[in-house]
Amino acid sequence: MSNEFNFSIKDYQSDFKPTWCPGCGNFAQWRAIRQALVELEIPPEEVVLVSGIGCSSHMPNFLNVYGLQTVHGRGIPVATGIRLANPELTVLVYGGDGDIYGIGGNHFLHSCRRNVDIITIVSNNFVYGLTTGQASATTPIGTVTRTTPRGSIENPINPIAVAIASGATFVARGFSGDMTQLTNIIKAAIDHRGFAFVDVFSPCITFNKKQTFAYFRDKVMKVEDFGHDKEDFHSAMDLANRRILRNKLPTGIFYQIENTTTYEERDFALNQGIIPAKTDLELSDEQINAITEEFY
Amino acid sequence: MKEDIVVRFVGSAGDGLVSLGLLFGKILKKHNMNVLGFRSYQSVIRGGYNSYQIRFSDKEVLSVGEDADIIVLLNKHVAELHNPLVNSGARVIYDNDNIDLEELEYPEDIIKLSLPSVSIAKEITNIKVIKNSVVFGAISFLLGLDIKLIKEVIVEQYGIKGEEVIKINYEALDKGISFAKEKMWTPIWVKGKYEKARQMIIGGNEALALGMLSAGLKFYSGYPMTPATSIVHFLTKYLPKLGMIVKQTEDELAAVGMAIGAAYCGVRSATSTSGGGFALMTELIGMAGIEEIPLVVINSQRAGPSTGMATKTEQSDLFQVYGASQGEFPKVIIAPKSIDEAFLTGIKALEIAEKYQVVVIVLMDLYLSEQIATVKKLDFKRTNKRYAILEKAPKDYLRYRITETGVTPRTLPGTKEGMFFTGSSERREEGTSIASTLAGLPSTLPIRENMMKKRMRKMDVLLKELPKPEVYGSKDADITIISWGSTSNIVKEAITILNNNGIKANQLHLMYINPFHSEEVLKILKKAKETLCVEQNFSGQMRDYIRMKTGFNIKNSLLRYDGEPIVPSQIVNKVKEVVQNE
Ligand code: SF4
Repeated sequence: MSNEFNFSIKDYQSDFKPTWCPGCGNFAQWRAIRQALVELEIPPEEVVLVSGIGCSSHMPNFLNVYGLQTVHGRGIPVATGIRLANPELTVLVYGGDGDIYGIGGNHFLHSCRRNVDIITIVSNNFVYGLTTGQASATTPIGTVTRTTPRGSIENPINPIAVAIASGATFVARGFSGDMTQLTNIIKAAIDHRGFAFVDVFSPCITFNKKQTFAYFRDKVMKVEDFGHDKEDFHSAMDLANRRILRNKLPTGIFYQIENTTTYEERDFALNQGIIPAKTDLELSDEQINAITEEFY
Repeated sequence: MKEDIVVRFVGSAGDGLVSLGLLFGKILKKHNMNVLGFRSYQSVIRGGYNSYQIRFSDKEVLSVGEDADIIVLLNKHVAELHNPLVNSGARVIYDNDNIDLEELEYPEDIIKLSLPSVSIAKEITNIKVIKNSVVFGAISFLLGLDIKLIKEVIVEQYGIKGEEVIKINYEALDKGISFAKEKMWTPIWVKGKYEKARQMIIGGNEALALGMLSAGLKFYSGYPMTPATSIVHFLTKYLPKLGMIVKQTEDELAAVGMAIGAAYCGVRSATSTSGGGFALMTELIGMAGIEEIPLVVINSQRAGPSTGMATKTEQSDLFQVYGASQGEFPKVIIAPKSIDEAFLTGIKALEIAEKYQVVVIVLMDLYLSEQIATVKKLDFKRTNKRYAILEKAPKDYLRYRITETGVTPRTLPGTKEGMFFTGSSERREEGTSIASTLAGLPSTLPIRENMMKKRMRKMDVLLKELPKPEVYGSKDADITIISWGSTSNIVKEAITILNNNGIKANQLHLMYINPFHSEEVLKILKKAKETLCVEQNFSGQMRDYIRMKTGFNIKNSLLRYDGEPIVPSQIVNKVKEVVQNE
C-alpha cells in the first residue's frame, strides 16, 4: 500500500457508465466495492477484479482497477491464478448466481476448501438476467420463469451452507438495499486472511417480480442484532439452514475463522516469500544441476 | 556384426518395468551408446501385459526398433501372451523355475536361455528385485558390456541406499555373468572397449518441461491425464527449489484458467493435458486469444475418440487444436518430433506466447511423451529478456492500441496508472466492450474490423521469424515423405533403409504447423516426383491440412491407428509399393 493515499471513490470508476437497468441491485455493489477499497486505502493499481458472464459480470467495465472479464463461470480459477502469481494484489471475483453457483459451481466448491486469499462476491438475484429470465441454481422451487412456466421443480442450492460445509473461512451475506452493511461486509471480506465469500441479495427489477427490494426489506435481519457467534461452525450452519429465525433472512457475517493457514502460507514457493510475478526467469547453475541430475 | 541391439523386457504392471527400462538405459548410456526406449502398456495398475523395449547403437537411433534380439520374460502370465510376438532367432531369457517354454509352444528357432534368476538371487538376499541385477549380469555378458561401468551406474542409482545394497547388487551381477559363462551363452554384440560418456537419458515430457523451465516457466497448472501427467510429476519434485507454482486443479477448465490468470500477471505459465482435457479447455483458450494473454497449452495426444485407448499413441488432434474454440484468433501450433525438439519447443512456446501475446499449443503424442532417449547436452537459455511488457504506463496508454505488428506492449497488475479492462468481448483500444450497448452501431463496425486485423496480423509477423521447412535427404529423390511429430524420426530411419535398398527418398518434417510456411512447402511438394504422408491417424489429417494450406494434393498416405507407433518396415514397404506402381 502506498504511503500517501489520495484516491476517492470516483477514482475507482471508469468512464464507461454502467449499462444495468436503472434500479438494478448491482448498482449498490458497484458503489460498495469502491467504497470499501477507499476506506481500506487500497490503491486501484493493486486491485484486480475478475468476473464471468452475466449482467453482474459487466462490473469490471465500470471500474478503474485492473479488470478482467472471463467466460461464463470461470472467474474463480482465473482469479486464483492471478493471486498465486502475485500475492501482493487484492483479487476480487464478482459474478451472478448463474455464473458462480451454476456453470462455475465446481470452482466455487474448490475455492472454498482451497483457502486462497481471494474475495468472491455473488450478486444473487435468483434468476438469469442477461439471457432474459430463466431459472438459476438459487431459483426457489415453484417459481415461474421463462424456462419453468409451470413453476420450477428443482430445489435451489443453499450457497451459504455449501460454502461453510466446503471449508470456506469467511462466509457472509449482504443486501443491495443496505449500503452501509454491504460496505462493511466487503471490507471485512477483503481484510480476511484466506478465501472470503459474500452472497448478496440483489434484486433484478426486470425479471424477478418476487425477490424485490420490498420483499427483502421486510425479511432481512442483521446477525449482529441477535448475538450470533460467527466463529461457531454449528451456529453458522443452523443459521444457514434456517433452523433458527425461520421466517427471517439473516444478513451479515455467518462464519469466519482466522486461526487457519491460507493456501499461500502452505505453498512451498509462496511461503518462502517468493512472488512468481517478480522472479527472475533465468535459472541459477544450482537450479539447473538440481533439475537435470536425475537424467545423468 | 549387428549395427544395433533391441532388448525387450516383458512383464506386468507391478513388475517395475519402468525403473528396469530406465536403469538399463542408464547402463547403456554410460557405455556411450545412443539409446531409445519405449514402454507399451495398458490402463491397469496391477497385472496386464506390458513391455519395455530398448534399442541402442553407437550410431544414431531413430526408432525403438522392431524385432527384438533379446527378450526377457518376467512372469508366466506374460510369457503366455507374448508367444506370438517372438521373432525367429531371438534370444529369450526366462526363469525356468516358473516358465516352461516347451509347454507354451514357443517357436523352435528361437534361442532359449533359461536363467533361474529368483533362486540365484535367493542365495544372496531375500530382497526380490535383486533378481533384476542377476538378469542384467547375464544380459551384459551377451552384450559384452563393461562390468565396471555397470557397477558405476549401480552406485549412482543406489548409493543413497547404503553399502549393503550396493554389495548385494554387485554380487547378483557377478552371479548373472558367471551363470551365462558357465552355460556357454554366446555373446551377440562385441564392441571391445567402451568409452565412458557423460550424456543424459531423458523422456519426452521431461525434456519439454526442462525447455520450459529454461525459458522461465514459473507457473504450471494441470489436471491428471495420461500421457501428460508426468510433466506435473517432474515439476512438482523440484518446485521448492525452483520457486515456482505447480497447481493440481479441480478440472481442466480451472487448469487453463489459472495459467491464464498467472500469465496476465506477467508470469510465464503453461498447462498440459491430453485430447479430452483439451476439449474442456477450449473456451478459455479462445478467451486468452481475444484478451491477448500469453498462454501455452500442451496436448499430448493419445488414441481417441473420447477415452479411446488411454495408453496408446495417436496423432489425431490436429484438427481439434487447429479449430479449438469458437471464432478466429491467432493460434500457434508446434509439434516436436524428438527429445531435442521437445526441449527446444518448451523454450520457443513460452517465448512466442509472451512476445506475440498469443496462445501457443504444443502438440505432443504419447510415443514422444513417454519415450526415453539419450541426448548429449541440453542448451539452457540464460536470459531474463522479457517481451512486450511495460515497466511504467505511458501517458496515453491504451492496452489494445492498434499497432503495425499487432502486438501492444502491456502493463501488469500492480503498475501505477496502468489499469485497464480486458474482457472476452470485442473491444475498443482502451479495452472496454463494444459488444453490448454499442454493438452494430456504424461507429463500432470499423473498430471490430481493426481489432480482428490487429490480432490476426501477429501470425504474419511471427511466420517471418519461424525457420523455413527444409528437406532432409537427397535433392533428386524418387519420393518425398511428409511427416510430423514423433513419426518423423521413424520416417528418417526408413529413408536410410530405402537408400541402402537403392530407392532414393527424402523427407519433409513439419514442426511449426501454424502459422504455416505455405509457399515454401508448396515449392517443395511441387518439386517432388512422388509424395507420401505418414501419420498416426485414420483420416490423414496432415495431408488434408496441407491441401487446405497449399492446395497441393499429396497422393499417398500411410496411416496407422491401432495405437502402436509406426515402424520403419511399414514405411519401407509402402514406399516400395508407391515407387513400383509409378
Ligand atoms: S436484467 Fe436484472 S440483473 Fe440484469 S441489469 Fe436488469 S435488473 Fe439488473
